Amino acid sequence: MAVMTYIDAINAALREEMTRDPRVFIMGEDVGKMGGAFKATKGLLDEFGSERVIDSPLAEGVIISASIGAAMAGMRPVPEIQFVDFITPAMDAITQQAAKLRYRSAGTQTCPMTIRICYGGGVGGGLYHSQSNTTWFAHTPGLVVVAPSTPYDAKGLLKAAIRDDNPVMFFEHKKLYRSIKEEVPDGDYTVPLLKAAIRRKGRDITAITYGYTLQLTLQAAEQMKRKHGVEVEVVDLRTLAPLDKDTFLESVAKTSRAVVIYEDNRTLGIGAEVSAIIAEQAFDCLDAPILRVAAPDVPLLPAASELEKFCVVSVDKIVAAFEQTLAH
Amino acid sequence: MATTIDPIDGLQPEGSEEQHNETLDPALLRRLYAYMLKCRMVEERIRLLYRQGRFAGNYFAAVGQEATEVGATLDLLPEDTTAPSHRNFVTHIMKGTPLRLMFAHIFGRKISPDQGRSAPAHCGYAPLNVITPSSTIAAQLNIGTGVALAYKMQHKPNIVVALSGEGSTSLGFWHEAVNFAGVHSLPIVFVVENNGYAESVPVALQTAVGDISLKAQAYGIPGVTVDGNNVTAVYSVMREAIDRARGGGGPTLLECKTYRWYGHSEIDPAKYRDPSELAYWKSRDPLPAMERYLQSSHLWSDQWKDELTAEFTREIDDAVEFAENSTPPTGEEALDHVYSFSIRERELERTVWEPQLIESLRRVG
Repeated sequence: MAVMTYIDAINAALREEMTRDPRVFIMGEDVGKMGGAFKATKGLLDEFGSERVIDSPLAEGVIISASIGAAMAGMRPVPEIQFVDFITPAMDAITQQAAKLRYRSAGTQTCPMTIRICYGGGVGGGLYHSQSNTTWFAHTPGLVVVAPSTPYDAKGLLKAAIRDDNPVMFFEHKKLYRSIKEEVPDGDYTVPLLKAAIRRKGRDITAITYGYTLQLTLQAAEQMKRKHGVEVEVVDLRTLAPLDKDTFLESVAKTSRAVVIYEDNRTLGIGAEVSAIIAEQAFDCLDAPILRVAAPDVPLLPAASELEKFCVVSVDKIVAAFEQTLAH
Repeated sequence: MATTIDPIDGLQPEGSEEQHNETLDPALLRRLYAYMLKCRMVEERIRLLYRQGRFAGNYFAAVGQEATEVGATLDLLPEDTTAPSHRNFVTHIMKGTPLRLMFAHIFGRKISPDQGRSAPAHCGYAPLNVITPSSTIAAQLNIGTGVALAYKMQHKPNIVVALSGEGSTSLGFWHEAVNFAGVHSLPIVFVVENNGYAESVPVALQTAVGDISLKAQAYGIPGVTVDGNNVTAVYSVMREAIDRARGGGGPTLLECKTYRWYGHSEIDPAKYRDPSELAYWKSRDPLPAMERYLQSSHLWSDQWKDELTAEFTREIDDAVEFAENSTPPTGEEALDHVYSFSIRERELERTVWEPQLIESLRRVG
């Protein structure tokens, strides 16, 4: 066991998987000599060589689609998209090719590929270094969308993703990279895909979230306990598509109140789907309307700190939503 | 600089149809003709079936382009990959996909390689490494490039042939693929079938260069333009490109200038074209051209052609009968092959949580 940051956990997972399986290779902008914009691939070029750690041309389309082809031909590519804000040139490759290849070939041609994507705001990155956009991909059948929220999960889920036979969109929040540390096993372990986790037990409110906002939600839950003696149960979705409905439905059936917290735009964000599922399948269990804490429907995120602060999810905003659901 | 839009001038290749490669083996020359005839017969049958309303959807015929389809894909091994577009359905014939399965695909049957999921002419075949096409243009080139990257990493002697029309060269994706293949010297041949039109838009509105093969210079790879209606010419330059790719010499861009006899699809009467243009290209029909060449080389007999026609007719009749009588998929099978795991239960069985569950859960939790 070592105390590790999220970024070190990612780096360890890549190193271990590349050592374990010669089919695994990395491709992306600046992933080689520079070790990645955030150093996720630090040291891997020296260890595995330029055939397996490829500094690609500045072209997201071919980074992803060449990975699809390589995966089809038996490799296990782990391409990196430096910022999700730059993923749009690869949208055809991801949503029309990777997502549908298995389907359109009736399971005979597949692309086991893990796309690592840095996402998220709150670091003053402005409009093109702050977006989440997880919904674009959660809305596309055929993609598994994963967003780990802790170093332990980052390593275990990345290893599981690389071994999975589906195209996996692996969202890493840039603000998590170095802000939290926890004990992470040195050796091999995986965290199952498609399975949410209960991060805090509670009987009064169910809070459903993922990624960086998990940290904020846990702080808000702690405040609720101190201020009101209220116990919030916190569900970390971990996989955004396909959703593990049972974990949050069981929790809502117990607490009768649900608040969904996510940092993307409110409209049609993951909270919309979670809310719809609760309304469809657990309506009679509810004592209050489902609430969403999310960013307003504006391009995310404006750069000036006042503008950014207004848009991002905060502990205060989450606490206010918890209090509102209780007051109903 | 003014641009004159004259598709005929723009397409007229150097050299004439009568210039054939004298070094090709007689048996091979006859095979080239036989495959062109089979492609023509298969597509004309598919078009007939469409007009008879016997299958749903549409079709994208390459009739008139057979010299390119055959010349570019006849020399491949089963282990080699083809990355076709919607216009290259007949390349399955050269790759070896059973005709019965090709027609099962046209009819949307369960036994088809895509089990009825893809629109007609959008079919791959995994056992022979034919990538399942999508309809988004140029996507197959990049995926093919990735297959070539894997072949290089795996030290395999296999190559990729990626096919697309001239319209694809306007897309950024085309340039990303060719550029990447050049940088990594990948075993791939990019075959651009320049048939003069991207759906209705003439090539002069796609690009300001006369020969699309010139674009190869920008990526540091060889580029060749060939008469796409001369099957031996296409075959010969293709063999060079294949040898180069297989030998570690990297990619080649091959432009084949040809012409699509019919519209973009079966619902397109192609009224945007001058009838004289079509008449000109029909006069350059690759099949009679090859027939004349075989006659002059004493490799032709009318009886041989009759035998071929009869054999292909029997084969096509059998495939159509097999496909038409074969089982369609059931509706629920639409839920299969989305992921490596099943989503049937998730989609079909929705648990509704009742209030009485609350108490039992409260007791447990």
